[in-house]
Amino acid sequence: MNLMQAFKMAFKSIASKKMRSFLTMLGIIIGVASVVIMVSVVQGQNKKQMEYLEAMGDNKIQVYASRWYGSSGDISELLYEYCLGMQDLVVGVTPQIEVWQEITIKYGAKTFNTQNWDDWEKRVSLKLGSDQFGVCNNYTLGGGRELSFLDVDKTNRVCVLGGGAKKLLFDFVDPVGETIFINSQPFLVVGWYEPTGVEGMSDMDNVVLLPYTFNRTLNNNQDISQYVVKAKSAAATTMAIAKLKAFLGGFITNGENGNYDVYSNNDWSNQMQEQSLMQSLVLGAIAGISLLVGGIGIMNIMLVTVTERTREIGIRKAIGAERRSIIVQFLIEAAVICGIGGLIGIGLGCMGSLIAGKFLLQGMILWPSSVITIGAFTFSVALGVVFGLYPAIKASSLQPVEALRAE
Amino acid sequence: MLIDIKDLYKIYNEGQESEVRALDGVSLQIDRGEFVAIVGASGSGKSTMMARIRNREIGFIFQGYNLLQDLDALDNVILPLIYRGTSIFEREELAMAALARVGMDDRARHRPSQMSGGQQQRVAIARAIATHPPIIMADEPTGALDSKTGRHVLGILQQLYREGTTILLITHDDGIAATAPRVVRLSDGKIISDKHQEVDWL
Repeated sequence: MNLMQAFKMAFKSIASKKMRSFLTMLGIIIGVASVVIMVSVVQGQNKKQMEYLEAMGDNKIQVYASRWYGSSGDISELLYEYCLGMQDLVVGVTPQIEVWQEITIKYGAKTFNTQNWDDWEKRVSLKLGSDQFGVCNNYTLGGGRELSFLDVDKTNRVCVLGGGAKKLLFDFVDPVGETIFINSQPFLVVGWYEPTGVEGMSDMDNVVLLPYTFNRTLNNNQDISQYVVKAKSAAATTMAIAKLKAFLGGFITNGENGNYDVYSNNDWSNQMQEQSLMQSLVLGAIAGISLLVGGIGIMNIMLVTVTERTREIGIRKAIGAERRSIIVQFLIEAAVICGIGGLIGIGLGCMGSLIAGKFLLQGMILWPSSVITIGAFTFSVALGVVFGLYPAIKASSLQPVEALRAE
Repeated sequence: MLIDIKDLYKIYNEGQESEVRALDGVSLQIDRGEFVAIVGASGSGKSTMMARIRNREIGFIFQGYNLLQDLDALDNVILPLIYRGTSIFEREELAMAALARVGMDDRARHRPSQMSGGQQQRVAIARAIATHPPIIMADEPTGALDSKTGRHVLGILQQLYREGTTILLITHDDGIAATAPRVVRLSDGKIISDKHQEVDWL
């Protein structure tokens, strides 16, 4: 008996008992669908986070440093000078401040608000930074120029627009040389950044950047405490972190006269990758258990089937079927049931992933990877073979005459 | 010598009080081209003997037809051809030829549930002869049929015999045994007589 014929027989047998075959498949369908959805969601989430991190750039060192009231000296300047001293390690340094007061940004008839939390896509944030803000945050200049050291030093009324803010305020018009009004104060647009292109992350692009010296007037005169230092490489990041910690530790004692902390995005992204791997493993294990239960269900049904079909097996053996043919027939039936179940499960999993992507991951188009789909299919077929083996051997060892007398 | 059985025993619960000797030293030789009826009351051991004689060269016909209910007549007849490894291009032709020989080719696409007992038995015969086995073994083939259909089925076996097939007919019915050129009688697991006789249909 050739395989082709065996498959035909298996399909016939499955088709003649549609309801039961479907119920048998259900375990596999649910198992495979949940594996596909869970892994896709984790992968999608991870991809999104990685995109975000990538857009922000790697080798980025976050510095938090504040001195309590009464201490003297501007940390910004000290830090700036110190970083200038390690130019072999560091590309740039900038204060990283977002203005949380309600501020209106106006150009012509268009007005935007920093507190427009109802419509994220139309919220424009106001950030304060140095001439190295763009370098530190991985922005690419689209036109015009960056802020200059002089703008910072002289507190010039100039600004640089993020890609999103440029589009909201100016559409496709070149904004360089135009004037926008921030809380009714005129500011000259000197440059703009390309959009970072991360879906659903408008806060990186809907940005208006001013020299950080406006902190006094725009930000209620709060101290600047957050900085970004951009290092040249992963190795430079590690060294720069150690140096920065030593430097800040020189005049700040944590908890006594202030606080400081230095960490890098590299740690963060490693951590995130580890976390994502853990999530995948845990979810995969849970889904694997449900698949196992599905497989046991199949074995159960196949065993019942053997008993039920004793007569059929007897007839087949009496008219010339060898043991091998019976084993192959039952194995293929189990594998076909699981395979069809797997295909349906993958179909449902794809739909589920798309729905999950739409509602959980800001409309991300979440398409399960081919590795997952092929893997899930192979696994479900293998499950059928493994759990079909025992019933198949049992069926094949029936004696034909005994089998025929079972009636 | 096509079938040669020597001192065949089949004893259940040996040595116990409930010991049953289903076959108690049976020896039987059957030549190519014979028509042998094996007669005996139920429990005489004839079915047990038949179960011992198993070979892929034998086509089986059963009292209960034993067709697969999910398959139509043609697919039932094709089944032994599949197991025998007949090429896919010849199967249907051979199966149709076998159905034609028992006059069932016009019902090839009917399922067993759509056929009468006699028709089912004819399909079962077609299935047994589809691979052209040298021996046909029929276990009470007329047992479940009325006498007219029974004669028809016997007629098909006689026709196969005339064409050179060896026929083993197992029955408890002396009337049917009387139509066989050789009659082997079994009782309590032993052969009590083995006679050749004249039959009217030869």
